[in-house]
Amino acid sequence: MMKKWRFGLLMVAAFVMLMLAGCTNSDPDAAPEADADTGTQEVGEQQEAAVNEEGKVEIEFWHAMSGGGQESLDAIAQGFNESQDKYVVNPEFQGTYEELLTKLRSIGGTKDAPALMQVFEIGTKYMIDSGYIEPVQKFIDEDSYDISQLEENILNYYMVDGELYSMPFNSSTPVLLYNKDAFREAGLDPEKAPETFADVIAASSKLKTDEMYGFSMLTYGWFFEELLATQGGLYVNEENGRAGNATEAVFNGPEGLNVFRFLDTMNKEGTFGNFGTNWDDIRAAFSSGKVAMYMDSSAGVANAIESSPFEVGAAYIPHADEVKRHGVIIGGASLWMSKGIADEEQQAAWEFMKYLTTPEVQAKWHLDTGYFAINPAAYEEDIVKEKWAEYPQFQVTVDQLQDTEPSVATQGALISVFPESRQQIVTALENLYQGADPQQVLDEAVEGTNRAIEIANQTSQ
Amino acid sequence: MSTLREDAAPVEVIKPPGVWTRTRRGRTAILYLLPSIILFGVFVFYPMFRTIYLSFFLTDQRGEAAVFVGLDNYRYLLESAAFLNSAKATILFVLYTVPAGVILALFLALIANEKLKGIGFFRTIYSSTMGVSVAAASVVWLFMFHPSIGMFNRFLALFDIGQIQWLLDPDWALFSVAISTIWMNTGFSFLILLGGLQNINEHLYESAKIDGAGYFYQLRRITLPMLSPTLFFIITISLINAFQSFGQIDILTKGGPAQSTNLIVYSIYREAFVNYQFGTASAQAVFLFLCILVVTILQFRFGERKVHYQ
Repeated sequence: MMKKWRFGLLMVAAFVMLMLAGCTNSDPDAAPEADADTGTQEVGEQQEAAVNEEGKVEIEFWHAMSGGGQESLDAIAQGFNESQDKYVVNPEFQGTYEELLTKLRSIGGTKDAPALMQVFEIGTKYMIDSGYIEPVQKFIDEDSYDISQLEENILNYYMVDGELYSMPFNSSTPVLLYNKDAFREAGLDPEKAPETFADVIAASSKLKTDEMYGFSMLTYGWFFEELLATQGGLYVNEENGRAGNATEAVFNGPEGLNVFRFLDTMNKEGTFGNFGTNWDDIRAAFSSGKVAMYMDSSAGVANAIESSPFEVGAAYIPHADEVKRHGVIIGGASLWMSKGIADEEQQAAWEFMKYLTTPEVQAKWHLDTGYFAINPAAYEEDIVKEKWAEYPQFQVTVDQLQDTEPSVATQGALISVFPESRQQIVTALENLYQGADPQQVLDEAVEGTNRAIEIANQTSQ
Repeated sequence: MSTLREDAAPVEVIKPPGVWTRTRRGRTAILYLLPSIILFGVFVFYPMFRTIYLSFFLTDQRGEAAVFVGLDNYRYLLESAAFLNSAKATILFVLYTVPAGVILALFLALIANEKLKGIGFFRTIYSSTMGVSVAAASVVWLFMFHPSIGMFNRFLALFDIGQIQWLLDPDWALFSVAISTIWMNTGFSFLILLGGLQNINEHLYESAKIDGAGYFYQLRRITLPMLSPTLFFIITISLINAFQSFGQIDILTKGGPAQSTNLIVYSIYREAFVNYQFGTASAQAVFLFLCILVVTILQFRFGERKVHYQ
């Protein structure tokens, strides 16, 4: 056995030596290559446009829409391709927003990058800083495109320093959905949803039965951000990162604490149902009558109505009692254009963006998916009016967005490390539900976010 | 290798061979090893050294090494409550899954080793989990654990036992993930152990029977010692697999609730591909590598003594 050992050791040593040699050889080679790559992208060297056999300019469009959204998007792209004879847009599904961004990080700025890509709202700051993208403002100016036709509250989010870097696309906001039948049984008015935190707490204790919890919220950072914003609370300093690079998270102030106390109160009273971090779980809990009220994305409203055997009500998200309602931050994603690709390809991407924002396309998109129309003229289309008559809940989501007061709070925070910060919030919420102190878990989340911000600021210099 | 050369030397005593001739065998050996050296080099050793390199840096938005921080990433990890929690969860997970998984597979292999009519059917069933991918299996388990429509909770409701939040209660989540992992790994362990059992020479059992040995005596004195190389293999593989579990965590719990199932591999993934901190992620990877290395060495040192090779 000893012999075997010694032989094994010898082999390992040999491998290690070989590899060390290999590494020292290959590393210097690799470095200039990488430099050359970034070099071309910085200069923005002229690239040949990809032209297909029919002489049309073909571009790739990376998106993260699955299911119904994907079908609708494919149909829209097809409509665009047939509407003119110069450009072809090929939509390609790339997984979730996070997965798409991961892929983009590895090829962003090279010639393999897609001309057009869909990036979620919290990736906005990252995309601007990345240097991979061409601001759409350039095309808006060249084309004298009238952006005032677009929804103001959506533009608000994506406008950074007065410039539009990306074209808003699929946008949603949170809404409070509730079980009207359960409200009736509990002796509550089904037409009057609770408005403030105290209302929700009171309603929850009335709605609570052996089978059903009063209220629930998906354990997801987005909902916390919304409940913070509707009180006018900021997420990070420097005016939510809109006046300059944010250096510190500030969501552990009184507004953040309000949200955590609100959840903590119901959790301790046993009226709060925790259904975890999965959208499907909480939706199943609602439609199977395990919880009477929960918050969902406006894009999930149609599905909730269809899959629930009871009457579903939709309302504005609740706010703390002592402050007035400020409104909601837009969620969802926008479309970005690559830099360093051929002018014709950029032009193709721009034409597609313009096509997307037409009222007809937006009406179809709104009805297919439940996302907002970024062009409010779409709401005047007949098909939308018909659907709204059938589902008045859709109207609520649009009203909530249009009632939003523009401010830095409802514009939403701009930081490049949002995914990490959301993770911190998830952990904080989970610890809260286990009985930890609200202020303490919030402080920990702020600390974690601050470390991430600090590293990001340190490494980007 | 050295013994071989000494054997060869006396034949050509007259003229001492040159370096080229003397290393001929070595060179031939390298030639034969070249394909695996290249493959290992590209897919194992290069990434490994790259990981070690990155663990000394903070990375920028593109994942390139940006600021050299020396051992700071490691220091941060050892002071971080989250990482220590991950390490604890990983060890617990290994303890939950490895012994139970191996014993279950061994039990199934023993009963499936009997010569009965239609035993092929049971053998297929027992090894079938091997054919199910981790992702598919996890989705099925996800439904069974579902808090409102899951099979387990409905089953409990039949007997009027309180509902369990399988994947949402931090006290239960790791256990739930461990159960599904044991189920997923059983097929593979079963198949290997059954193969081992079938390799045991029939004559041993015949002689034992003639000597009047009972079933359990045979099991203890013949089956287990003869099976020990296979068992050793399975224990080692299960241990390494348990340390590296990822798919089921990603699908079932995403590391939650309250970090209770955030095993080291999952935490590495999240740090690298959600937070884009390749530096701290690499430091965790190096740490995990060292842990597995130590455990495996200990296993070879102490476990292998009990192994009986034919």
